[in-house]
Amino acid sequence: MNLFFKIFLWFLAAIALMVGMVVFLNWTVQTEPVVGRWRNSVRNQMTIYAATAAQIHDSEGERGLIGFLDRIRNADTVSEVDVIARDGSVWFTDAANVESYQGLVEKTFASGVAEIEVGPPDTALAAKHFVLDNGDSFVLLLRWERPRPTPFFGESPLRYLRYAGLLLTALLLCWALARYLSSPIQKIRKATQKLAGGDLQTRVAIEVGNRRDELAALAKDFDVMAERIESLINSQKRLSRDVSHELRSPLARMNVALEIAKQKSNGDTAPMLERIETESFRLNEMISSILTLSRLESGSRDFERREIDLTALVESVVEDANFEAAAKGKAVKIIDGDECSVFGSENLLRSAIENVLRNAVRYTKGETTVGVTLKTADSKARIHVRDYGSGVPEDELNNLFRPFYRVGEARERKTGGIGLGLAIAEQAIRAHKGSISAGNTGDGLEVEIILDCKK
Amino acid sequence: MSRVLIIDDDEELCELVSEYLTVEGFETECVHDGESGLNKAVSGDYDLAILDVMLPKMNGFDVLRKLREESKLPVLMLTARGDDRERIVGLEIGADDYLPKPFNPRELVARLRAILRRIHSETGDQIPAEKIQVEGLELSPSSRSVRLGGGEVTLTSVEFDLLTALVREAGKVVKKEDLSENVLERSLSPYDRSLDMHISNLRKKLGIRPDGSERIKTIRSVGYIYTVL
Repeated sequence: MNLFFKIFLWFLAAIALMVGMVVFLNWTVQTEPVVGRWRNSVRNQMTIYAATAAQIHDSEGERGLIGFLDRIRNADTVSEVDVIARDGSVWFTDAANVESYQGLVEKTFASGVAEIEVGPPDTALAAKHFVLDNGDSFVLLLRWERPRPTPFFGESPLRYLRYAGLLLTALLLCWALARYLSSPIQKIRKATQKLAGGDLQTRVAIEVGNRRDELAALAKDFDVMAERIESLINSQKRLSRDVSHELRSPLARMNVALEIAKQKSNGDTAPMLERIETESFRLNEMISSILTLSRLESGSRDFERREIDLTALVESVVEDANFEAAAKGKAVKIIDGDECSVFGSENLLRSAIENVLRNAVRYTKGETTVGVTLKTADSKARIHVRDYGSGVPEDELNNLFRPFYRVGEARERKTGGIGLGLAIAEQAIRAHKGSISAGNTGDGLEVEIILDCKK
Repeated sequence: MSRVLIIDDDEELCELVSEYLTVEGFETECVHDGESGLNKAVSGDYDLAILDVMLPKMNGFDVLRKLREESKLPVLMLTARGDDRERIVGLEIGADDYLPKPFNPRELVARLRAILRRIHSETGDQIPAEKIQVEGLELSPSSRSVRLGGGEVTLTSVEFDLLTALVREAGKVVKKEDLSENVLERSLSPYDRSLDMHISNLRKKLGIRPDGSERIKTIRSVGYIYTVL
């Protein structure tokens, strides 16, 4: 999972847990005393009511008492009034099953103080005895509404709004924090990818901005590293380019001197002079390849771009390659050629396809035909070049495009390559934001080039 | 004997090339910077110039550009191998041919001879060929000039010969092989783009027809055709 979301969710979870704990603790701590206070007040009221009931009966008789009981019942907090005599007879009741109160009644007579029995949900039955002047004893039973503890989720919309506000604040805070921590890491990661992709000029400290923490330090370290790598690679490239460039002048002179020597030579030296010529030709090829490659690698992306008919380009390269292959008893053929044009440099693309094809022709076995297909789908052009050679060991496939990489020293010598063709092809394709890869087919190698088609 | 002017800053190379060309029957003179090269080139004492791109004081392209303002002296450019831009620019501003450096001197001599042959056939002892006219395009082989819709078009000698070959067969496909053999005087080799390059320059110079169609069409993997409406 993405680091941003991880941090975000962890902070959110932490905040939610904390808020939950606080609310819960608050609620429990608050609820206990409420219930305790209510019990005391019920007891006191029961004592007062019982005493009052006795006085009213004494002074106003039964009628007065009934009136008083009715008044009690009209109070909000009392829902039921019963009066039960000592002998168990029910003198006044609102309840259907007064008999079940017997236990409480006995208990009240025994203790002489107000008793409370927590009954069905949210109510409690309280009892207190009273004695009339004439010696009769009764128990007054009142069913009290229990005070509800403040509900955890209040009903009032204002309360919901408060929770929503709390949640929103938490979300915002977490988002900001996660963003603050993860965005520089994202930036450094992008820069690393760019650097790995070959853009040596990538720097990140400016993007990470004015922070004073480990992440900013990391960004600065990255820049130092990138700077160092860039200068190392550039100086190495410059060296190889300069060496190659400088080598051309003596080579040019040597070529001319060689021809003069040939003009003046007698027959004996001719084969050796031919040999020198062949070698100087190879040297020449190698130097031009190195120069082409270093020009491509130096990232001079400012080559001339225009719309190119890729189909025609492939056809013309295949034709040339076929001509060359025919001399070795091999062939190159287009199997499938969709119509497609791309935007880019004709010369670069030509040299890319040419190098791949020449490589295929070099390795395909005699009497076989290198197959070339050009297919377009989803605005991508795919060029497949398939040879019928001995393929390449799987673990060496990725190295194929490295300069001077040789799959089996002896093989390469015999076939006369210099090990730069595919490297040039890769650089040329990359310069077009395309990709090139190789894979074994079982009886040969297949190279795939993918380019963006122009609509 | 043809007089060849070699403009290259590599003095040793110049000496060697001079020696080789002398044996091959050319008269040579070497200069080692662009300015003096240009002065000599416009003097009219030479039949041909070999011009390197990398030169002190004034580079090969500038020399060629200045030279073309007042002279049609055939020029063979020595370009850096593998640098397509150099040869494209060279041909565009009026080089007659190019050779990537390091070159094979035999190839150099062959190219020089081809260029000279073409020049000689122009100034030629043969009977001047008649003017050829196709839809507003007028080629006069005697003066080697081209007029298109009344205006003059400046072509190099290779371009003129290519256009002549195409226009003579107007409406028919001319094979690449034939063009290479007859005009460039070398057999068509794979990966050789010079023919395409000359044709593309020719297209640029002639422009498209008023209706937007190309005058010279490419017939894939066969050759070119000068289209007639």
